[in-house]
Amino acid sequence: MKVFMYTLSTCPWCRKTKQFFREKNIPFEYVDYDLADEKEQDRILDELSRLNVTHAFPVVMIDANIVVGYNPEKYIELLDKGKQK
Amino acid sequence: MNVESRKKALRYQFEKVVDPLGYKFSPDEELVDFLLEQEVFLERKHGIPYCPCQGLPKDREGRMKLVCPCIPFHREQFDYMKCCWCLLYVHKDVTDTSGLRQIPLSEIPAAGLKRG
Repeated sequence: MKVFMYTLSTCPWCRKTKQFFREKNIPFEYVDYDLADEKEQDRILDELSRLNVTHAFPVVMIDANIVVGYNPEKYIELLDKGKQK
Repeated sequence: MNVESRKKALRYQFEKVVDPLGYKFSPDEELVDFLLEQEVFLERKHGIPYCPCQGLPKDREGRMKLVCPCIPFHREQFDYMKCCWCLLYVHKDVTDTSGLRQIPLSEIPAAGLKRG
């Protein structure tokens, strides 16, 4: 199972999201949009726009599923689904 | 102005804006304090206290929609959530924030919502 997230360094819900996955010992990768360089920010905005996501963070990708916002119930549901595969 | 003084000033200023919109500061004081501090840092960096929980787009019009308090630009979504995206502001009738959730615009069950 692959977990990737776009976050903001200024957003407490992004911090909570990272904390959620750390506490569950689930490895993840992330990029803080606001700390990225301009070229990377453009690329992220393009990607999020293609995924029909607005400017709201965090954006969590669990395999092919996308969750926008801090939503531990949804994370658990998708993680359980991933384990069953 | 130091960070604490600016936080206080923003709080005073924002309260006057959100009150007539039917919102108040979250009762979660720790969260409010953290978010206001981030806004002070964002104001120092960009000159404007933008929302700390939404990524700044490149265009000016898009950025203006993320100036805190951004409630008027996301009214339908925030009214449905009973709070703003950061949970800095909550509906006046909210006393317990534990049931509040960030709900993306795409999941708001209302027709005719504009993306912004």
